[in-house]
Amino acid sequence: MNKIALLAHQQLTTSALAHELLSFSVNQELFAVELRDIMEIVVPPPITIVPRASPKVLGVCSVRGQLVTVLDLRRILGLPPAAVTTQPRILLAQCEGDILGLQVDQIRQVVRLQPHELELTNNQGSTDTIEAVRGIGRPADSDILVIFDLQTLFMRGRS
Amino acid sequence: MITEEANREEFFNETQELIEGFSRSLLGIDAGLKEGLSHPELLNEAFRTIHTLKGLAGLFGAHALGALTHDLEDLLDGVRLGTIDITSEVLDVLFGTVEASHQLLRAERETPGIQVADVEGISQITAAISKLAHRPEHTTQRNYTVDPAILAVLTEYEEHRLMTNLNSGLQLYRLRARFDLMTIDKELNALKEKAQPLGEVLTYLPTGESTSPDILELDLILATGETIQTLTSVLGQDILQIEEIEAKKTVSSASLTQADSLAVEEHPSSRFDSLRKTSSAELKSPAEKSAVKRSVRVDIRKLDHLMNIVGELAILKGSLERSSHGLIAEGDRRVGRELNRLHRNLERRLADLQDGILEMRMVPLDQVFDRLARGVRKMSRQLDKEVRLVITGSDTEIDKLLVEELGEPLLHMLRNAMDHGLESADERSAVNKPALGTIALNAYQKGNHVMIEVEDDGIGINEALLVDRAIQLGAVQANTASELSHDDIISLMFLPGISTSKAVSRMSGRGVGMDVVKTSIARLGGVIDIQSEVGIGTKMTLTLPITLSIVRALLVKVEEQTFALPLASVSEVVPLKEMTRMIEGREVMQLRGSNLQLCRLNKYFNLPTAQTSGPAEQLVALAQVGERRLGLVLDAISGQQDIVIKALGESLSEVKGFSGAMELGDQRVALVIDAAAIVEEVITMSDTPWHAVIHE
Repeated sequence: MNKIALLAHQQLTTSALAHELLSFSVNQELFAVELRDIMEIVVPPPITIVPRASPKVLGVCSVRGQLVTVLDLRRILGLPPAAVTTQPRILLAQCEGDILGLQVDQIRQVVRLQPHELELTNNQGSTDTIEAVRGIGRPADSDILVIFDLQTLFMRGRS
Repeated sequence: MITEEANREEFFNETQELIEGFSRSLLGIDAGLKEGLSHPELLNEAFRTIHTLKGLAGLFGAHALGALTHDLEDLLDGVRLGTIDITSEVLDVLFGTVEASHQLLRAERETPGIQVADVEGISQITAAISKLAHRPEHTTQRNYTVDPAILAVLTEYEEHRLMTNLNSGLQLYRLRARFDLMTIDKELNALKEKAQPLGEVLTYLPTGESTSPDILELDLILATGETIQTLTSVLGQDILQIEEIEAKKTVSSASLTQADSLAVEEHPSSRFDSLRKTSSAELKSPAEKSAVKRSVRVDIRKLDHLMNIVGELAILKGSLERSSHGLIAEGDRRVGRELNRLHRNLERRLADLQDGILEMRMVPLDQVFDRLARGVRKMSRQLDKEVRLVITGSDTEIDKLLVEELGEPLLHMLRNAMDHGLESADERSAVNKPALGTIALNAYQKGNHVMIEVEDDGIGINEALLVDRAIQLGAVQANTASELSHDDIISLMFLPGISTSKAVSRMSGRGVGMDVVKTSIARLGGVIDIQSEVGIGTKMTLTLPITLSIVRALLVKVEEQTFALPLASVSEVVPLKEMTRMIEGREVMQLRGSNLQLCRLNKYFNLPTAQTSGPAEQLVALAQVGERRLGLVLDAISGQQDIVIKALGESLSEVKGFSGAMELGDQRVALVIDAAAIVEEVITMSDTPWHAVIHE
């Protein structure tokens, strides 16, 4: 099978930010989102471009009969298109009743952070991309992670 | 396993249906009242419906609904027995209870077991009911002497009907008929149906004089204005004997009442006595029988789910076809052919399954039309403007989801027709129109579309005023106003905020109007057209798809990308002529002597030019929306297919030109072109004078 099913909700924690994160890379930088937000990770199926849609939208695809709108994290972050993307993946998640996909360059790993390795940001009202940043993770055994709030990222991708 | 919740859902569905049925009876009674007819059978039906509703409410602990229906039942019983006259005021209250019941149901859904006092706005209606129900009663006037042996066995209700009929100058007849006990149900109903057009069958009583134990002899008491000759010629075959029942008009009603009661006492052991109960119980049977439908209710989401499965089966079917071709190509012809045969069988069955599921989604329009008729009646009384509403085609079927969304826009259109369209009775008489204005609500099927028309015979659209208002809104410049064509002016109706009404009335004229209607219709994949002639009237036509979920479509290519183009929106496909001309900045081609505006889809969609050299000959698909035509230029047609349209998500709702996406069967998806939206955008919006102003 070409997908990793992750039953993240089984490990739901009650804290404001779950300590289990999924890290991935875009443009050689490391990012992470909360693992419990991700329904599934899929290898990109053929994507149909949608003319006249926002440039942040890569297009639509079908995942087992379900229509998914795929957003490109590179474009949301204002990065140039990837020259050679080796292992792109699409993260599927719910957003206001729809299923949206977020394409990233490469999946890294599931990271468990101790409270002292986590630094939360509070940037209510900020208008930049930075508003989607929930915090910074400094795991002992890895590089610094920028932790995104998936819903905010999606909202930015839609506008 | 039936859960509590499913039970409750069933309760809500059933009560909903009962209330709708009740509303239908009321509409019938209202229509009858206007023509001066009383409809005892409709009143009985209304009474029975409320009685059932009360029972259901009690069963499910819906106290508020129970209380309302209890009072309502009293009121209806009074009306039925003639102690309360049915007037427009009484009907107002009755119609009010329809809304109130819906409201109570909604409240009940949120808070099970809610009490009347806790639901806002209900106390008013219950007060109105009890005021009517406890009015000083007036008893049926007994101005006639009738054979006491008959009177003695009539129920209070039957006696009321008998006297009412005599008061309106009808004659009573006793019809004697014999029935086989085995088939009496059917035969009696058949006879009653035959007698119905002649008059009212008040009751039927066994004579006790039958010749065999298997035969039952009945006397039917019929009130009619027909002569005995007519009765004999119509009913002669089915009955043994017709006999006139004498009814003498009496001078003093007081003395009669006395004589009557004496008469009853004189026949205490009348042979009919023990049968009184049966005859009144019998009254219930026909309508109740017809109410039992062989149907189940299904949540529409379950049908959607089934439809999705059909879609996936179709994809499997595609793979099967490819495998069979592969096998044949590889030389295993026997197995390949067998597989191919199976594939074709599967294809047929799948098509049947798809049709079947689709059919389940279809419901007749009368659900929404009944509600509209109620709305028109209410508006008519609020505006104090009499109107004749003529409804045709309410049995036209349409997708359940569409039906639910249609009510609001249609009500708005009717409101416009009543408030702005129809003149007052005086104004109408002045121009030799019938004083009573007519609004027609017509529905019919046309190909894959359902057409709904709202037509009035009113004053028509005041174009000059419309243009003036558009200039005031800044949507049209005064100096270009004279260049607007008739159609341009009519489409000004859809400008947000426009209104031609002189005074803002309670119901319309606030300027939130046709643009909202247009948007909601467009969301359903429909379009609206307006035709209007000054002094003659206005006709608005909605063109709606029959169903939202499945359509037959062309698969077309534009710059190597595949799109689906629903066949319903395309009337023909013709080759693109080399020679196109530019007229006023629009590219047009000649088609059978007239100009057809073109829209090059590759440019409209901003598609990058494909690497391969362009095809030799491009095609033009002719899309037509109402009166507007547009030629969509595409590269090739690659096939034709029934497709299941899946909605694009909320995040793509801003993107115009597509109604959804479909699966091509090889994991890829294709976008479904919304031809109607493109026509609207390209023709209606492109460089018309006000376009530039609005979107600056």
